[in-house]
Amino acid sequence: MDLSEAFRFHGDKIVNRWVEYLLSTYKSSGFFIKEKDKFANPVGGNFREGLQKLFLLLTKGADPKEFHAPLEQIIAIRAVQEFTPGQALAPLNGVKHIVREAFTADKERKHLISELYDFEFSVDLAVIAAFDIYMQYRERLYEVRIAEIRSGNHILTDSKCPSRLLGKEDKTIIKTVNSI
Amino acid sequence: MSVPKLEQLSQSVVQGPSLATGAIPTRDWMDIPVKFKSGNYAYVAKKDKVEYLNSQSGLSFPNAREWSPEEDDWKLPDDWKDIILKGLAERLEKFRSLKIFMDCCVRCGACADKCHFFLGTGDPKNMPVLRAELLRSVYRNEFTLGGRILGRMAGAREMTVGVLKEWFMYSYQCTECRRCSIFCPYGIDTAEVTMMIRELLHLVGIGINWVLEPVSNSNRTGNHMGLQPHTFKDNVEFLVEDVESLTGVKPNISFNRKGAEILFITPSADVFAEPGLYTAMGYLLLFEAIGLDYTWSTYASEGGNFGLFTNNETMKKLNAKMYAEAERLGVKYILGGECGHMWRVVHQYMETMNGPADFLEKPVSPITGTVFENAASSKMVHISEFTADLIKHGKLKFDKSRNSHVKATFHDSCNPARAMGLIEEPRYILDHVVDWVEMPENTIREQTFCCGSGTGLNTDEIMDLRMRAGLPRANAVKYVHEKHGVNMLSCVCAIDRATLTSLNDYWTPGVGVCGVTELVANAIVQEGETRGELEEGLRTMVF
Repeated sequence: MDLSEAFRFHGDKIVNRWVEYLLSTYKSSGFFIKEKDKFANPVGGNFREGLQKLFLLLTKGADPKEFHAPLEQIIAIRAVQEFTPGQALAPLNGVKHIVREAFTADKERKHLISELYDFEFSVDLAVIAAFDIYMQYRERLYEVRIAEIRSGNHILTDSKCPSRLLGKEDKTIIKTVNSI
Repeated sequence: MSVPKLEQLSQSVVQGPSLATGAIPTRDWMDIPVKFKSGNYAYVAKKDKVEYLNSQSGLSFPNAREWSPEEDDWKLPDDWKDIILKGLAERLEKFRSLKIFMDCCVRCGACADKCHFFLGTGDPKNMPVLRAELLRSVYRNEFTLGGRILGRMAGAREMTVGVLKEWFMYSYQCTECRRCSIFCPYGIDTAEVTMMIRELLHLVGIGINWVLEPVSNSNRTGNHMGLQPHTFKDNVEFLVEDVESLTGVKPNISFNRKGAEILFITPSADVFAEPGLYTAMGYLLLFEAIGLDYTWSTYASEGGNFGLFTNNETMKKLNAKMYAEAERLGVKYILGGECGHMWRVVHQYMETMNGPADFLEKPVSPITGTVFENAASSKMVHISEFTADLIKHGKLKFDKSRNSHVKATFHDSCNPARAMGLIEEPRYILDHVVDWVEMPENTIREQTFCCGSGTGLNTDEIMDLRMRAGLPRANAVKYVHEKHGVNMLSCVCAIDRATLTSLNDYWTPGVGVCGVTELVANAIVQEGETRGELEEGLRTMVF
């Protein structure tokens, strides 16, 4: 009975617990956990999909570059919600504890806990990647904001009527000319 | 060992009792105060704008002042509570719908998970039922026997400054999109509850600038931008030049022309900001192709009506302008462009506020002879109905390959879809002009998800909020982008064209936003044209 078998055996349970743990950071998490339709429940649906993919990658020791797609699915959302960066990312770490908890409760597989170093190191790498992704999305958000300001939308509220401004300038010019 | 660690991890990432890590909340919703901080509220209305509006006939915007939601003291009038309660009593008397909505909710929860703000934030106060409860609790306390006697046990509570602040927070985390209302077995229009809360807040000088400045501009010059007649005219003329250099066809236009058959009104954003500009160029090309006898107006130069997001008096006044201009010019009826909430105002409130428009005629298409019975009362036809009818009668010639650079999907803009039932017409048009696919079923048609930034929330200081509110919409766009290679999100609303652009830039970069009429004009074939290969349709840069 090796580690990969143990991950397969407990996989669904671990991912479910991980998803619920991540979703428990929302004030009203019942619906997010229960509703499985990704379009009716984009937060829960994307988190479930993302963590399922990520867990498989973590357990097979995949190249950390492959973590990006499933992480983005989660972090893009967390980055615009009312969390501090730490709050946004910390639940990713939770999987380490959830795995240990699952193995501890399983007499036949309890001994595998000592072999979890590689898995937990992969989780560390994923969390580090998640920080980069978090910042990438925050920067994108600022760029979106700047692009919107440049697009002219702000003219709605942040500028005077162009023709009215022209009037003022004219008056200043006339005043200046008169004073000369 | 690991379980306590997990709890510790939770504690380190959770601050305050509200983020309760799956535990049952320790406090009742009534006991959780709102906290305003930079980024979670839209800037409040500028003092001079409120003063100006307050000085205008038919409008009342008292208590103009400098203030900040982050301060404890909101500088309310001493008798603010009386003003609010009296205002609520008046509205309960005046609007039967409000009275019913206050009484008939059974808290079944059908609406709870239908709101894009709830789906994006997980905040229970963004469940439509609870958002309405913010007002309903005060109503019970003041206007129902049960509430007076049983108080909190009956879901009633005292009107306090804290409640007022909560109203401000959550009535501006609702875009009045009405998705929740279609799921309500009693037909409660929660958007109207939000409208009432916003109205009440204005009575004591609480409002946001992104709503009140466009309102004041509209009141002054006729459009949100504050464009004066000559500037508006110049902008449209620039677009005529652009159309001519792209296609060789120079559209004939006129302004304020008495005796024109039709008055055309569209959101002013279409004539001044990308990507709406291309939709406006589309209107010009389309009307030229069929030789429509129409005029623009430099006074009714705005379809949008931010009065809808303010109060009923303002909505009435801004809406009246369009009909007054139609009467002054002596047109037969009004043709309306791709606007969202203009259509809600026209279809649901115009008749009561400013009707009947019996100085206009029942709309008939001059090209096909079709009588628009559905617009017999409002005297206003939607450009998509009009265009779909032209296509149905074979009056337009298209070369679909001119849109081969586009793989489109269609976003049902909330108000046209839910407030006027405009569902099939844009789809019929798209079928004829472009290759397109639908988004998942529970995100379109009547169930469409809002862009997340309507009702005057399209302001950049709350960008995070807008992105999370727009997540359900963006999530569906992302799906068709990845599955079908969709690169263009078409819609029939000017606010959408602005807000979905930002939304896509965050969630699905590479997906543009366009109006349906832009796609129509891209594909249109007409006499006298000398257009070359326009690789990006009307967006092609020509030097």
